[in-house]
Amino acid sequence: MKQRKGLSWLWFALGMVYFFLPLAATFLFSLRGKRDVLSFVAYKNVFVDPIFLRTFSFSLEMAILTVVAGLALIVPTAIWIHLKVPKAKPVIEIFTLLPFVIPPIILAFGLIRTYSRPPLALVSSPALLVAGYVIVAFPYIYRSVDAGLRAMDLRGLSEAAQSLGAGWIHLLFLVVLPNLRAALLSATFLTLAIVIGELTLANLLAWPAFGPYMALMGRNRAYEPAALAVMSFGLTWGAIGLIQALTRSGRDKSAGLGTGAR
Amino acid sequence: MAFLELHGINKSFGSNAVVKSLSLDVAKGEFVSLLGGSGCGKTTTLRMIAGFETPDEGRILMDGADVSGLAPNRRKLGMVFQNYALFPNMNVRRNIAFGLRIARADKARTERRVDEMLELIHMEEFAQRFPHQLSGGQQQRVALARAVAIEPAALLLDEPLSALDAKIRLKLRDDIRAIQRRLKITTIYVTHDQEEALSISDRVAVMLAGRIEQIGSPFEIYNRPATPYVASFIGTLNLLPARVLEAASGLVEVDGQRIRVAGSLDAAAGSELSLRIRPEAIAIEGSSAANEAGDGRETLRGKLENLKFLGSIVRQVVALGSREVYADVFNDPSLVFPSIGDEVRMRFARESCLVSPNAALAVAVETED
Ligand SMILES: Nc1ncnc2c1ncn2[C@@H]1O[C@H](COP(=O)(O)OP(=O)(O)O)[C@@H](O)[C@H]1O
Ligand SMILES: [Mg+2]
Repeated sequence: MKQRKGLSWLWFALGMVYFFLPLAATFLFSLRGKRDVLSFVAYKNVFVDPIFLRTFSFSLEMAILTVVAGLALIVPTAIWIHLKVPKAKPVIEIFTLLPFVIPPIILAFGLIRTYSRPPLALVSSPALLVAGYVIVAFPYIYRSVDAGLRAMDLRGLSEAAQSLGAGWIHLLFLVVLPNLRAALLSATFLTLAIVIGELTLANLLAWPAFGPYMALMGRNRAYEPAALAVMSFGLTWGAIGLIQALTRSGRDKSAGLGTGAR
Repeated sequence: MAFLELHGINKSFGSNAVVKSLSLDVAKGEFVSLLGGSGCGKTTTLRMIAGFETPDEGRILMDGADVSGLAPNRRKLGMVFQNYALFPNMNVRRNIAFGLRIARADKARTERRVDEMLELIHMEEFAQRFPHQLSGGQQQRVALARAVAIEPAALLLDEPLSALDAKIRLKLRDDIRAIQRRLKITTIYVTHDQEEALSISDRVAVMLAGRIEQIGSPFEIYNRPATPYVASFIGTLNLLPARVLEAASGLVEVDGQRIRVAGSLDAAAGSELSLRIRPEAIAIEGSSAANEAGDGRETLRGKLENLKFLGSIVRQVVALGSREVYADVFNDPSLVFPSIGDEVRMRFARESCLVSPNAALAVAVETED
């Protein structure tokens, strides 16, 4: 028993080394911007670069639009499928794999070919980019929402709400969405992370986005890309921490209210 | 006049006919149970009343008006589910207030009504708790309050107690009935538990394979079962194979012993029958007991095999040929039982012995759990 436990700790430690060693190395490397001293000069260089801010805020904007459009499209669809056509679930699951199977470059060329001539000349509109991002983010959004719906007895709750007089709007806003909070948050952060770093679509549709900027930096600089990598790690972890904190605080609040009245 | 009427309802899922020309009238304020084994169509029937399923044929009337075309959220029916289905994101108070909030009742009235409901279910001090902080029984009480709060035209309950412990089940069963009586609310109660149905209902509808086999008061259902299925489903029943000796006088042979049943038999001599006798209709006497002729009672001899103490009842198990026959008596400290292994006589009134064609033996007999 004891031996077993020691062994699992060993595996855990190995895993941590495998995971953290490159990260630590990258971090150390990113601090070498100045000869012979450790400094944050590479980070400073990143932040003072006006293109960094411009591309980052453009991508953030696109990411937010993608989140809004993606959730508006996918959440009601997922609810509808769960309630009305549960048999279609496996089919949708196959659809969610398509963005992984089909390389984004094919998606990009498809979009360009279809939307570059009238009556649908949208190539120069950011709407097309967002539409493409919604496709890329679709698996993540759908699977988060699907997991959230599976965890909540959607059918039972919706029937209870309906018998109490609730229509679809009430059902959605008073019952389903509040109980989907954790799922929606994780869908949101995943989408943000994916879209902000996305390279292919932005490149081929020729938008000044953050993904192409990072790729460019990677080719031309030494320390700044490492600094960017460390920062994006930090951002992702921050987002995960935020999801945890927000969902936990929701639970604590409810628990607190209950004990208060006891 | 009936308040809730089902007329010739048919419902199939694909090729599976689940409800078959079912008709039912429920009076205002009445408590009617749908009782039957799993898969007989109880839930489907209830869901058609609620509007969650659409009948293929037939009409559903409430207060004289056809509600068939009405969406579930327009029917004003309170519903209680087996798994409670409370809203996990709302505390008890907000769960109960949900229907009133949807109906845009004014705030003061809503608060007052919720307080009334909390009092009705004795859960005032739990108003701020969330569902996951309550026991199953408490959750179901909240679900009941939530359904009743909107003053529904009728209350529909689908096996509301089957997820609860036996003790809480009994308590909540009485609470449900008490609340229903107090509010005089028309109620349809689905259950597979015959004791539950008999103890709680004004009338019980026993269902089999999508049809109502019999509907009547618990007393009628228990004492005058209309079909062999009802007889075997309700309570415990002894089934004895018999052979007709003399149809006109009701003389039959059971395990080589001759007895008479009440009236004459509509069967040829030599044909097979089955006799149905409730355990409580059979009295056991030691074989030395005197005089048995002429009192209109019949006797079968067997060997006492076992005595089972079931609390208020003692079940005497008698071997009759290769069969076991149950005879129940109320527990009483002054009772003296024959010894196990003794020859005993089982005595019963002719009238308590019901006759059915032998085909009835094919019906699954549900005795004890
Ligand atoms: N939505 C449905 N689709 C297909 N078959 C169903 C559906 N609902 C119920 N059934 C079938 O109908 C029959 C009766 O079900 P139900 O009304 O739930 O029975 P009960 O509540 O008496 O146990 C069962 O055989 C069940 O499998
Ligand atoms: Mg059922």
